[in-house]
Amino acid sequence: MAGKQLLTRKLIARVFIYTALTIAMVWALMPIVWMVLSSLKTQAGMFSMPPKFIFKPTFSTYAFMFNEGNFGLFLKNSVIASLSSTFIALVLGTLGGYALARGNYKGAKHIAFWIISTRMTPIAAAIVPLYLIFAKFHLMGTALGLVIAYTTFNLPFALWMMMTFFAELPPDMEHAAMVDGATKFQAFYKIALPQVAPGLVATGILCLMFAWNDFAFASVFTSHKTQTIPVAVSLLVSQTGIAWGQAMATGTVIILPMLVAGLAVRKYLVRGLSMGAIK
Amino acid sequence: MATVSFKNVYKKYGDQTVVKNLNLEIKDQEFIVLVGPSGCGKSTSLRMLAGLEEVTSGDIYIGDTRVNDMPPKDRDIAMVFQNYALYPHMNVYDNMAFGLRLRKYSASEIDRRVKEAAAILGIEHLLERKPRELSGGQRQRVAIGRAIVREPKVFLMDEPLSNLDAKLRVQMRAELAKLHQKLKTTCIYVTHDQTEAMTMGDRIVVMKDGVVQQVATPSELYNNPKNIFVAGFIGSPAMNFIDCTCIKENDEVCLVNEDGFKFLINDKKLADKLINYHNKKLVFGIRPEDVRGVPGESSKENCQRVRVDVVENLGSETLVYVSFGKQTIVCRFMGSPKHKVGENITIALSPNRYYLFDKESGVSVID
Repeated sequence: MAGKQLLTRKLIARVFIYTALTIAMVWALMPIVWMVLSSLKTQAGMFSMPPKFIFKPTFSTYAFMFNEGNFGLFLKNSVIASLSSTFIALVLGTLGGYALARGNYKGAKHIAFWIISTRMTPIAAAIVPLYLIFAKFHLMGTALGLVIAYTTFNLPFALWMMMTFFAELPPDMEHAAMVDGATKFQAFYKIALPQVAPGLVATGILCLMFAWNDFAFASVFTSHKTQTIPVAVSLLVSQTGIAWGQAMATGTVIILPMLVAGLAVRKYLVRGLSMGAIK
Repeated sequence: MATVSFKNVYKKYGDQTVVKNLNLEIKDQEFIVLVGPSGCGKSTSLRMLAGLEEVTSGDIYIGDTRVNDMPPKDRDIAMVFQNYALYPHMNVYDNMAFGLRLRKYSASEIDRRVKEAAAILGIEHLLERKPRELSGGQRQRVAIGRAIVREPKVFLMDEPLSNLDAKLRVQMRAELAKLHQKLKTTCIYVTHDQTEAMTMGDRIVVMKDGVVQQVATPSELYNNPKNIFVAGFIGSPAMNFIDCTCIKENDEVCLVNEDGFKFLINDKKLADKLINYHNKKLVFGIRPEDVRGVPGESSKENCQRVRVDVVENLGSETLVYVSFGKQTIVCRFMGSPKHKVGENITIALSPNRYYLFDKESGVSVID
């Protein structure tokens, strides 16, 4: 009898959990699903009531974007800016983070805090000084300027993250490697670095997301030639109306690479973000 | 293979001196054990030799080469760490091959050495596994294997057995001793466990608060401890200590205290020497096995009437904790228990196997 009761209780709990999860999932996915579906409809079909879930999809919006508009260029700009900034932030952040975690010098904690505090600056507060600097060095409207702007935010973040990962690694393994015949740098990249790989991937994804999704920097520092996709979307809102179809299609294109990247490295992402939580 | 020497070595962290004036000559092929309580500077000394800690002042030599400023990789040493420090992202084979690959050995030579070491340690079937798939004892073997494939001049071992369970520790202790006999490489072994030190070391270095207390063979250390710290640290259960005063009555030199302790010095030479200590504080030391139980209420010399507090039956022997006044003494009697708790018995202190230390300096009074 008791066993049966327990089974029923377990069943109820399960039903409850799955219902809650379903609601949460619908809540989160609904706008995305609507966006993706809308991007495959004609403008007229988009607002028909009740909304249709089964229809003949059309890729005319996408075809138009890539063939007629400058969308290919914007996509390229976005990819270049976010990848470059992420790459620079990861390389320098990993080296700097390792130095701060392992370096045994006075004030390391203060330096680390000062570095992460630059990441706490609101983007709006950073735009003005960066604008002045970029104007002086003729970086306005250039891809390089945008990469620098993203890196000012991504580098301290990456450095802080990597520092935390390295600090949690017991130094004995690097010592063992050094006794085994490794230089300090070999101990770093052959022993320490592989062990924080999940953390490195997680940090990279977060840096990539920041740069990929950014609107504020791109809207100020880019010219027509260096515009990124988020800026391009904003330009679809004009006095004559909103190009809904293109907005939905562009939105889908923005989300897609992050979604794929997130799924591909999901394992590392979870391990990286929970590093330190599990001993 | 090589000698190792420490010459006037100091290690300071800020104002704190953790190793004070370490002088030590380690012979080729010797198995030397650094032992002492935690924080005594034994690990720091080892790490200075490995090159993982800087030397504040003084010189360290491996063979004839001064290694103070040499990076660890060039010192030709191998080290086994307490937590094994295996590379978690490499399998056992790669862990052992790592140092050889860095030194650009040929693949066939690496393979030969790794397989040979694996055979010695009985871990051939584990070569493809990752460290996390191994038990504590297996990890320990891999860590040792990683050290021996290198065929280094000197082995350094930093508490290599302290993460193992008691049974495995005893087993590995014997295996390490056997391995040393086979390889004959100079070995410096750090431990806080005096049993490990006694059973493994050709010579033992006892350290306390960064200062070497005594360097000697195990039996020398056991029989002739230089000071009260060494006397209390080596041996289990530890030596009994009794605070007392030295007095000279008539022609006899006696040790007495307010608990009713009285011990007559029979040794004429020692008695003469103790004249200088008349009315001074001494510490009388006697090992548990040098106390005997005697029948009846004997009032013979160097006998003491005591009360039994605790009886521990260890099978082949019995530890009996007895007391008189504020003084507690542990006695080791052969065989199973013959005494009951609460009973009053008489014990006899060995008239020639005892130790005397100056109360103030702790230094042994007997040469």
